[in-house]
Amino acid sequence: MNKKERSLLTFASMLLGFLFIILLKTQEVTGSQAVLQEKTAMPSLMQTEQENQQLSGENEKLQLELAKYAEGQSSTKLANEQLQDAKMKAGMIEVSGPGLRITLDDSKRVAIGQEDPMLFLIHEQYIRGIFNALWNGGAEAIAINGQRVTTNTEVYCSGSYIQINGTRQMPPYVIEAIGDESNLSGALNFYGIWIELGDLQKQNGLTRKPEVLSKVVIPAGSLRDYHFAEPVKEGT
Amino acid sequence: MHRTLALPVTLVAIALGFLISVQAQTQKNVSAAEQISAERMTQMKSVVSNSQAQNTKLQQEHSSLLKQLDVARKQVGTDPQLLAQLAQLQMLDGTQAVAGPGIQISIDDRKATFPLYAEDIATMINTLKFAGAEAISINGQRIVSSTDIVLSGSSNILVNGEPINGAPGIPYELNAIGNQDTLYDYFSKLEATTLKQNSITVSIARKTLRIPSYNGTYTFKNAVPVIVP
Repeated sequence: MNKKERSLLTFASMLLGFLFIILLKTQEVTGSQAVLQEKTAMPSLMQTEQENQQLSGENEKLQLELAKYAEGQSSTKLANEQLQDAKMKAGMIEVSGPGLRITLDDSKRVAIGQEDPMLFLIHEQYIRGIFNALWNGGAEAIAINGQRVTTNTEVYCSGSYIQINGTRQMPPYVIEAIGDESNLSGALNFYGIWIELGDLQKQNGLTRKPEVLSKVVIPAGSLRDYHFAEPVKEGT
Repeated sequence: MHRTLALPVTLVAIALGFLISVQAQTQKNVSAAEQISAERMTQMKSVVSNSQAQNTKLQQEHSSLLKQLDVARKQVGTDPQLLAQLAQLQMLDGTQAVAGPGIQISIDDRKATFPLYAEDIATMINTLKFAGAEAISINGQRIVSSTDIVLSGSSNILVNGEPINGAPGIPYELNAIGNQDTLYDYFSKLEATTLKQNSITVSIARKTLRIPSYNGTYTFKNAVPVIVP
């Protein structure tokens, strides 16, 4: 091989390598670009759409109210109607209807050997999990041990008792809910907490007793004072 | 030329030719892909601008309706005490948007050992209620009595039936109005420590907040008011 040939071969190989790299680069760029742009556009679209939905819902409500004024209904009657409606939504009215009663209780048995004593007690998260499933199943009103569950209701474990609406609650916990029985039961069976409690009932003797009732009475909640929050108009 | 060189040179030439043709093909593919993505982008842009136009229109409609309603209310002269009671009830049922001092909690679980579960969010909200929060929202969803927080599919968290994932930047933003000191103390002691142990980034800021109204509906098909005689 003489010098000229050798350099020719070297040159050709370099060109080959160069082209190969360019090829790789191009391949890489192709995919990523388009995806990136769409990814950034999607969330903002979703947000605007969500906002639109909320706004049109609000507008509908306002129009309805406005229509009532236009009809010339007596203002006192209208205001009282609104007040009644708001009380119902806020859970400030005692209600009755068909639904479920669920009784939860600590086990009467004591943990032995390697058993975890915590798995023999009813914990706050079980109660919250059941509330969550019931609301998901379309519950219209819920109470526990005579305490109405409202927007502010906390279910907070404070040692030997659970604090609910600022009151001390001890087991057994009796949860009552008004709603369509099959929807409520369906939602309970769908979420893990109900099944978990069932297992604990079998293994450790906890109580998880559901009852279908044609009539449950749920007490009214109590109104709270507001010291910090002020009503504001939407969208300003 | 020597014979010995003929073979390598031929090979190099073949490889070169092959690469050049592949390159040309890729270029063609690239431009085709670019065209498609450009088309998709224009489609996307028109969808976005449509939705924004609708948003502006709805907002205009909204403010004009509010004004009309204000006028109508003044005309009939509704009892101010009654209106105050109504506002209080509507703050409770969440149909009234509110503003006031409070804390804003930003939570980033993207680098966490375990991402946040729906139950974790419920626990945080419960702690805020325990701390006496007057109004709470998460990613724009107002928390009311009937709020459910559930997992949908493998990673979507629904609050009030609406997905709260997919927001750019910080994954979760909790707003709570109430006594700032109490809210701050309770949340940082009872929740933030545990979250940080799981490599979740938590920052709490004292702020004047605005919490939107509940955009779901209350339906009463089974529950009827008990009339007290």
